Amino acid sequence: MASRYLWRRVGQAVTTILMIVLVNFLLFRAMPGSPDRILARNPNVSPAAIEQTRARWGIDKPLVPDQLVAYLAATIQGDLGLSFASRGEPVTEVIAGRLGPTLLLFGLGEVIAIFVGLGLGAYAGWRRGGPVDLVGNGVSLVLYSMPYFLLGMILLLIFASTLHWFPSFGMTTPGKTYDSVFEYLADLGAHLVLPVATVALGLIGQYSILMRSSILETLGDDYITTARAKGIRSGRILRSHAVPNALLPAVSLIAINLGYVVAGAITVEVVFNWPGLGTLTVEALAARDYPVLQGVFLVLSISVVLANLLADMIYGRLDPRVRA
Amino acid sequence: MTAPAVALLTAPRPVDHLARRVLRRPDGGAGVVILTFFTVLALVPDLLVGPLQTAVTATGGRLEAPSTTHLLGTDEIGRDMLNLTVHGTRISMVIGLLATVITIILGGVIGVVGGFVGGRTDGVLMRITDFFLVLPTFVLALILAPIIADVIGSGSVFFGVRTTLFVIVIVVGITSWASTARIIRAQTLSLKERPFVDRARVIGAGRRHIMARHILPNVVNLIVANAVLVFAGAVLTETTLSFVGLGDPFQPSWGQILNAAEEVGAPSLGAWWYFVPAGACIVLVVFAFTLVGTALDDLLNPRRRARR
Amino acid sequence: MRRSLRARMVRALAVAGLITALVLPAASPASGQVADDLILRVGTDQEFSGLNPWQSIYVLDYEVFTLNYDLLVGYDENLGFTEGFATSWETSDDGKTTTFKIRPDMQWSDGQPATAEDARYTYQLVLDAIAAEVTLGSGYIDGYLSSANLSAVSAPDPETLVVETSTPTSLLLPAYVPILPKHVWESHTLEQIANAEADDFFPNDPPVVGTGPYTAVEFQAGQFMRFARNPNYWGEQGAAEEVIIQHFESNETMVQALRNGEIDYARGIGADAFDALEGQEDIVTVEGFANGYSYLTFNGYSKPIEGGGASTTALADPAFRDAMGWAVDLPLLVDRVLAGHGTPGTSLIPPFHSNWYVPPAADVQRSFNLQTADEKLVAAGYVKDASGQRLDKEGEPIALRMTWPASESELATVAQFITEWWGELGIPVEAGVTEDDTLLVDLAPPEYDPPGKADFDVYMWGWVGDVDPTSLLQPFTTDEIGGSSDTFYSNPRFDELFTLQGQTTDEAERKAMLQEMQEIFYRDLPNIPLYYDSELHAYRTDRFGGWQSQPPDTGTPLFGFGPIGYTKLTVAGSTPSEAPSAGAASPGVTAAPSAAPGGSETPTADNTTLILGVGALILVLLAGGLVLMRRRGAETEEE
Repeated sequence: MASRYLWRRVGQAVTTILMIVLVNFLLFRAMPGSPDRILARNPNVSPAAIEQTRARWGIDKPLVPDQLVAYLAATIQGDLGLSFASRGEPVTEVIAGRLGPTLLLFGLGEVIAIFVGLGLGAYAGWRRGGPVDLVGNGVSLVLYSMPYFLLGMILLLIFASTLHWFPSFGMTTPGKTYDSVFEYLADLGAHLVLPVATVALGLIGQYSILMRSSILETLGDDYITTARAKGIRSGRILRSHAVPNALLPAVSLIAINLGYVVAGAITVEVVFNWPGLGTLTVEALAARDYPVLQGVFLVLSISVVLANLLADMIYGRLDPRVRA
Repeated sequence: MTAPAVALLTAPRPVDHLARRVLRRPDGGAGVVILTFFTVLALVPDLLVGPLQTAVTATGGRLEAPSTTHLLGTDEIGRDMLNLTVHGTRISMVIGLLATVITIILGGVIGVVGGFVGGRTDGVLMRITDFFLVLPTFVLALILAPIIADVIGSGSVFFGVRTTLFVIVIVVGITSWASTARIIRAQTLSLKERPFVDRARVIGAGRRHIMARHILPNVVNLIVANAVLVFAGAVLTETTLSFVGLGDPFQPSWGQILNAAEEVGAPSLGAWWYFVPAGACIVLVVFAFTLVGTALDDLLNPRRRARR
Repeated sequence: MRRSLRARMVRALAVAGLITALVLPAASPASGQVADDLILRVGTDQEFSGLNPWQSIYVLDYEVFTLNYDLLVGYDENLGFTEGFATSWETSDDGKTTTFKIRPDMQWSDGQPATAEDARYTYQLVLDAIAAEVTLGSGYIDGYLSSANLSAVSAPDPETLVVETSTPTSLLLPAYVPILPKHVWESHTLEQIANAEADDFFPNDPPVVGTGPYTAVEFQAGQFMRFARNPNYWGEQGAAEEVIIQHFESNETMVQALRNGEIDYARGIGADAFDALEGQEDIVTVEGFANGYSYLTFNGYSKPIEGGGASTTALADPAFRDAMGWAVDLPLLVDRVLAGHGTPGTSLIPPFHSNWYVPPAADVQRSFNLQTADEKLVAAGYVKDASGQRLDKEGEPIALRMTWPASESELATVAQFITEWWGELGIPVEAGVTEDDTLLVDLAPPEYDPPGKADFDVYMWGWVGDVDPTSLLQPFTTDEIGGSSDTFYSNPRFDELFTLQGQTTDEAERKAMLQEMQEIFYRDLPNIPLYYDSELHAYRTDRFGGWQSQPPDTGTPLFGFGPIGYTKLTVAGSTPSEAPSAGAASPGVTAAPSAAPGGSETPTADNTTLILGVGALILVLLAGGLVLMRRRGAETEEE
């Protein structure tokens, strides 16, 4: 039975991914302008060369079926085309090169935010009206109301420009040679602090609000009341009853909200000049590098779908009601 | 950027009654007071700070620090920042409002129709909804903006609002309706089984009639509560889109002001007056909407109320 | 088992690292490593196009290839010709044959001999491309030689290169073409070199083999390029052991990196940030003349275009354009948009070309005067109707669409000014930004391939020139309608002069021709040059000294013509007198114009105010949130 539920979810995820691919194709063919025109600014380009460019991008062929079929076949093979801006580098390579830094930044940010945010939220909800709730929820609400980039700009200003505690840009000091792995890690770590803090703070606001309301929800359940009536110590109720049950909806909401985190990702990376997918997206947007935008959209969407699927599977495993 | 964190499930209750209850709560009341303040700024900016300053009518020098003549200093072409920030209120709020209206109409219609009609229609609508729910919609917005800008042009003016801003409205609208649709559908499903809907059906009322006359009025407060959260999200999305350069320098919203500040390099110049006021406005407005939204949520969520 | 093994390895590594860290507290230049303070770090806001020089588009790309390679003829600090790959040259009496002497015993960075054969190979590549009717990469670099009418090249011996052109030409010596190592490039076909999209395109990945002072050894696309000193470089060696050019997504981050000492040089600083940098400790700002200009182009296409073209015939009328020229306050634009860091536009040849630039005569020079503009419009037959709306000669109201590319954000500010000025003349302007590629499509005339509709009225963008002014003149010739012409300007006399100036080798004669061309341009005003925006650079003096602008009065130390700026650098500590003199010798820093930026306090003070402000704001919000929560909590208890 569990497997039927699982397969249905997998089927849904596959359908969603197919829809994403289709939407992706349609969207980008609808984009204004075409790459060969950029050559027109250059007085020295021959008409023959422009024609060649057009042929190469398949701009001359009809949209359906030729361009679509070619697109689907290529996408399945992992060929996302060639970047306009990076002069011919395959999009897959361009994206792969930027994936690591983004995963590092957001992986760390997410982990910190999940621990701190969920912990804070759980405690605040449990001790509703207490000092932690008041301060924590106030801070969370402010953080939640603040665009990521504004938070980033402020942190950058205070800790990099004024106090000079941390470097202001990039992932490592450019061109620095390292005597040991640790020196490298220290350099990387110093560069990571501010962007990770920005991401984590932004998410902590969101997650603690989530967890707090989830805990409040759970505390109303009968079994908690029963447990309390039985005189079980509060701390134990929180740890072994309330938190595990509140965690479920919170985790699935975190998975659902993953898509929104991407928005923050883009602006935080721009503020800190972090060489990840976010800066890539903004660069590609400015250069109207459609194949790269297309690739980024595809990669991000599919990651979010897969993350959701994963959350659903965990949910299904933990919550017997879903499995039935 | 919206975080539809809180599910709103409720029994129908009259809206005016709800409004009064929100106002009576300190958080809801404070939220409403803040929002009223900004609404006033948005409605009569000319009365408060004079007409929007332009490049030619700018009254100050380049990046002047706050002084008695310019309470919030000036920008790089000498425009008074107080003037710009107050006028930015109207633009940000109008974008947020229009985007919310589109979101709510889309989400409401899809939710009510899907929930009430059911069957294959519902299946298709909910597939589309789920699709939009999992998409990183901000990335979609980034991609849609230039396409839509090309379709409707960028320079012309409709009803005093330049089309560049409509692009943002449309983009926010079509990328953020999905969670509204989900919530409304769930409510419609439960309403559908209620006796009064059956009665209407028995006396021969058409589907459209039942949806418009019986279902819709009963989901209105849910829509209102959701709209509050959507509005906050819309303001944030507008800000972020403008920040990455998709705004309109001719009609500066708060997000556009932040983008201009970043481009001029105001933070490293120490020209904090350039972006701190607009940033504070954004935080305050989103904060206020969240307060009102939480208040509404508390009031509408029967489970939590019962616990008290 | 596996896990425990890995854990042990990790621990062993940790111990080893700890010991290393304790024993070697400071970074010691071990084998192949360079002391941190001998690395020159250069920041730019431009994007790398790569290491294949034919793909070059931006100033940054030119900088990259002139570090890697030599030009046949180099440029000295005064922009005069000096030895490059060649040491001397001589042109025949008919002006069609030039013989270059190549430096004897020169070596590539990999130790292979560098001879005339390499230069022949490089020039032949361009000839091959011309014969095959393909464009080499972006088409900018080979264009120098095709404009010079290159017809044949030969290398009779390793120290002699003979270049022939089909006409006499002044464009061969300034041809900005890097000489490439034949032994590296010859194994690749023309297609592999020219087409970035070709299957096995040759990207010229590092380590690059060149004859320049530094050669690229590492390239992270979109981030940085690292260059190591070329041990075989024939010329003067700069103090930097390594050069790193770092790309910055945001100007602000770049300026902060310069302030923090994370980079030594920054190009492309915003005007206000530039002013704020002035007088900072260890930082020198340099304002260089721009070799280019921003313009406002009128759609002067003379015939109607079905479904496109200009919205009014007035734009094709020089008298109308002349009148509009009186309704643009150029000095104010420089002051407001560029914070004074530029010069109001006049000629299509920027003052950077001090040899060729001719300012308009006093009796024809325009100034900002809306009344004059109005009078000139009326005199030219453009009157206002009863409602104050300006009419064209067909009696139709004139309403102009104005646009600019999304990549040039400061033009949005210019648009805000012009919209209002022209509005006062009864000419409403509908202004909106257009994405670069879309704009290019809109600009294309029917002559273009594929045919376009020239669907615009006025638009703004910029041109950037070479050391020779030819490429700045070309877009206004009749032949270029359908090519680089965006004004669709056509004037037989201008065309004739254009051809003649490229063929004369007499400088005075050429100058007279260029003067007449500039006069025609200023009179007919196919576009309004808005301003020559300055190059705003800044550098630090705490690590390196010996900064020298090229040319001294109007240039910048780096991003000039050739690698000379890099080769003059010294270590700041070793020659303490060097740094201050370099600072004083930044003559490009013109007297700061009018409106000084906000207050004269130090930026630290400004930042403190800022931080206090932000801190206060956060506190207020927190306090508000707390009070609300507390009261809400209280209420909850009551309920």
